[in-house]
Amino acid sequence: MSKGVLTLKPKGITADGKGWLVGIAIGFVWLSPLFWMDATTFIVLTAAGLAMGMIFFMVASGLTLIFGLMDVLNMAHGAFFAWGAYVGFSLLGMFEWLGWVETGTFLQCMTTVLVILAVAFLVGALIGAILERIIIRQVYGDHLRQILITMGASFVMVELIKIFWGLNDEVVAVPLAFRGSFDIMDVVVNRFRILAIVLGIIVFGVIQMVLKRTKLGIIVRAGVENREIVETTGYNINRIFTGVFCAGVGLAAMAGVMMAMFKQEVHPAMGDDSFFFALMVVIIGGMGSVGGSFLGSLMLGLAFNYVAFLLPKAALGVNILVMAATLLIRPTGLFGHEE
Amino acid sequence: MTQELSPVHLDYMQEQRTRFVSPTFLLQIALAASLLAGPLLVPSFQVMDVMAKIMIFTVVAASYDLILGYTGSLSLAHGMFFGMGAYALGLVCYHSGSPHWYHLILAAGIAIFLGIVFSLLISLFSLRVKAIFFAMVTLAIAEYAHILGIQWSELTLGEDGISFELPWIFHSDWSAGRFLLSEIDDRLMIYYLIFLSSLLLFMGLVRFVRSPLGRVLKSIRSNENRAVALGFKTFQYKTVAVVFGSTLSSIAGVLFAMWLRYVNPDSVLGLGLMVNVLLMVLIGGLGTLYGGIIGVAFIIVSENWLPGALKAAAGIFPPSEIITRLADRWHLYFGVLFILVIIFFPRGVVGTFRQVIARRKAEVLRKRRTEVRY
Amino acid sequence: MNEIILTLKDVHAHIGQHHILQGISLQVKSGGVTVLLGRNGAGKSTTLRAIMGLATVASGRICLGDDAIAGYKPYHIARMGVGFVAEDRAILYKLTVAENFRLSMLMETDATWQRMETIFLLFPDLKRFWNVKAGLLSGGQKQMLAIGRVLVNDHRILLIDEPSKGLAPILVTQLGESLIRIREKTTIVLVEQNFRLARQVGSDCFILDDGRVVHEDRMASLAQDRGRMKKYLGIG
Repeated sequence: MSKGVLTLKPKGITADGKGWLVGIAIGFVWLSPLFWMDATTFIVLTAAGLAMGMIFFMVASGLTLIFGLMDVLNMAHGAFFAWGAYVGFSLLGMFEWLGWVETGTFLQCMTTVLVILAVAFLVGALIGAILERIIIRQVYGDHLRQILITMGASFVMVELIKIFWGLNDEVVAVPLAFRGSFDIMDVVVNRFRILAIVLGIIVFGVIQMVLKRTKLGIIVRAGVENREIVETTGYNINRIFTGVFCAGVGLAAMAGVMMAMFKQEVHPAMGDDSFFFALMVVIIGGMGSVGGSFLGSLMLGLAFNYVAFLLPKAALGVNILVMAATLLIRPTGLFGHEE
Repeated sequence: MTQELSPVHLDYMQEQRTRFVSPTFLLQIALAASLLAGPLLVPSFQVMDVMAKIMIFTVVAASYDLILGYTGSLSLAHGMFFGMGAYALGLVCYHSGSPHWYHLILAAGIAIFLGIVFSLLISLFSLRVKAIFFAMVTLAIAEYAHILGIQWSELTLGEDGISFELPWIFHSDWSAGRFLLSEIDDRLMIYYLIFLSSLLLFMGLVRFVRSPLGRVLKSIRSNENRAVALGFKTFQYKTVAVVFGSTLSSIAGVLFAMWLRYVNPDSVLGLGLMVNVLLMVLIGGLGTLYGGIIGVAFIIVSENWLPGALKAAAGIFPPSEIITRLADRWHLYFGVLFILVIIFFPRGVVGTFRQVIARRKAEVLRKRRTEVRY
Repeated sequence: MNEIILTLKDVHAHIGQHHILQGISLQVKSGGVTVLLGRNGAGKSTTLRAIMGLATVASGRICLGDDAIAGYKPYHIARMGVGFVAEDRAILYKLTVAENFRLSMLMETDATWQRMETIFLLFPDLKRFWNVKAGLLSGGQKQMLAIGRVLVNDHRILLIDEPSKGLAPILVTQLGESLIRIREKTTIVLVEQNFRLARQVGSDCFILDDGRVVHEDRMASLAQDRGRMKKYLGIG
């Protein structure tokens, strides 16, 4: 059924010249839940959906870059998410000892969060470097073995979490400045969600800037399109792979920290759900497209929250339907490239 | 005019002549015999439990080998079919109060039906896209099934699972006296049902793979574009393989539910099961079917005896939290084993074995040819 | 001037399981254009790829200057002064012309930018479409970009694989003129099916068949040798 024709246009329906129509359609769909709920609920759910979407974006962005550049489906991505969350949990404990969490000033809370995010990123990147060099290198080029080996790695990483931190769910304290909500004209907006949204936008901005403006970004984008050209131009593609892998899983670890504070708890299997969502986002947004992941995560985050409010059981199903629909209409995802 | 037969043909004829006395065949007979007579001679319940599970999971692993090893489709939803079959049986027996034998047939029928329908849907969707997508989509669907199993409590009674009774000679009260070292009771009857079913299903798989259809699948696996160029509608062949394999997994699920008389989402629908099946097939060897037996046996025996062995080993060290935890999490060692097998033994036990044999045969053939020349 | 810059000695190379090069031996003189000719499947592209480190060299030697480079990684070979223009997809469609060039620049020095000026003189269209995505260029312009980007670094040898493929005849002639100007500065190893182009720019040639070199000659004298041209290239 598939034709091996070398074209640049993605398979399926395209939106050339009909951008404005698509925009209107999207706007309509986005506001449609207003038929079933009042405006304040809508705003609250939108905030929740955006925040959730941003967290998933951080996970998905790494996954899509790793796949786009290295053709590796990193099944261990969720494990990095969990590791980030647990590292965050432990660090929060330390900052709490300093008194910066439960009773900190805004500055102290902000610093706490930023430091924890940075450390989680580094830990994730470090583990990622070890994983990539020692294990994934062995099976380059073989999709099947890559998937399997990252599955095995995921297993091992989660078991290590259970060994180091124990099996139980742990409660995570959120720094004081980000607890509670703003009350603006009857609309209650959770403070932490705002932080998540802002952080997500910053991360997206940074990634896009690096990709579009720096030489490294050019190399990565080029590598996603055609590895061989990059290598024959004179760049050690292996080192770039390692770098992208580390950055990608570091992002997942950061997302884990955010989720830990979002849900105020951590448990060893928390990586599975996030991986599942990130997977759907990547399928919908397109492999290798960070912009696609961004839109996809927001879409899924919002859809999930709206539907969850109206029909709790159907929420997950709706997301699966969206994924299935996308695969039918545009097999490579909204912004993905064909190989 | 007689044509001289090629060395390959001669070899093949030799193989056909000796196939009922070759070592592999005798091994197979021995295995079947021990599985058949085992529970009658060895009174341990744990042994019988292990053997039953080995048989059930051999069907799951071998059917997965068909999908992954012979057709090359990385489906991660195989565990889901197993779970669907298990739940089919569980729900039918549970909801029918006191079930009759035809409920078993009904449950099996439902399992087969669901297996065919869902695998067809999955194939339609995803076999057209690249391998990675197929893996991701099947993964997503399987996870969703798991989550549904937990959340859709009206149907599945949620996380706690369902306990139920079986009808007829499988009912827990049934007994018919003693024979040799064990009692003829429901457990034994279920065991022999499992034995018979697994044997038939496994042989069915072997025949399927050796048939012309199976050969086309092998060609698709080695180079799909070439198969397409030869005129085969690869999509249809792959679909047939996936449907057949998935349905077999459902039936295995039914058998599993019968054995345990209990189903719950984590044990039959969880991803852990899928990872286990992958490990079993990999250790045994992809594309070998029989490898599944070895892989399954290894994993199940380890699962039963490794925790105990680890605890004993931990006893040697001075007691500490870390040591206890290291011993507890035997899954960790499975994960490491998984990784090692993938890196160093991608062909698994049987696969490597066959490779060695094939190389030896090629050597012999080459020697024979050079001898003839001089 | 006419020293040997690249030597291949009895090179056997594989792509995947296929044993393509069955003992290639050739020498490339510095300056000028060495053309690899032959039918489809003869192993011309594979020879270039083997030099570049993209095909697995099973045995034999490849020497660039004094260095034996067989087995080196492609990026290492590139940094030793070898430029590579692949047969298909030699540029990145999703990047702009500017980004394609920036990618090629291993060092961004004044000399590099001076070379850019020369490239603009050679291919003025690339300056006009500097910020356009490469995928949107015409076939001829894409080929200009493919060759232009490899001139950015001061490579001592350029491996160019079938640049005339898919180009209209007038563009092929222009391509030939560009190659003639490029060969003044650097050595070129050219794989070409288009005999007219090969004759226009080539100084030496090697004919390949079934993974081996079957004939070596000066380009001019091969052009007179109707018998060989028919036998190995199917021309005439």
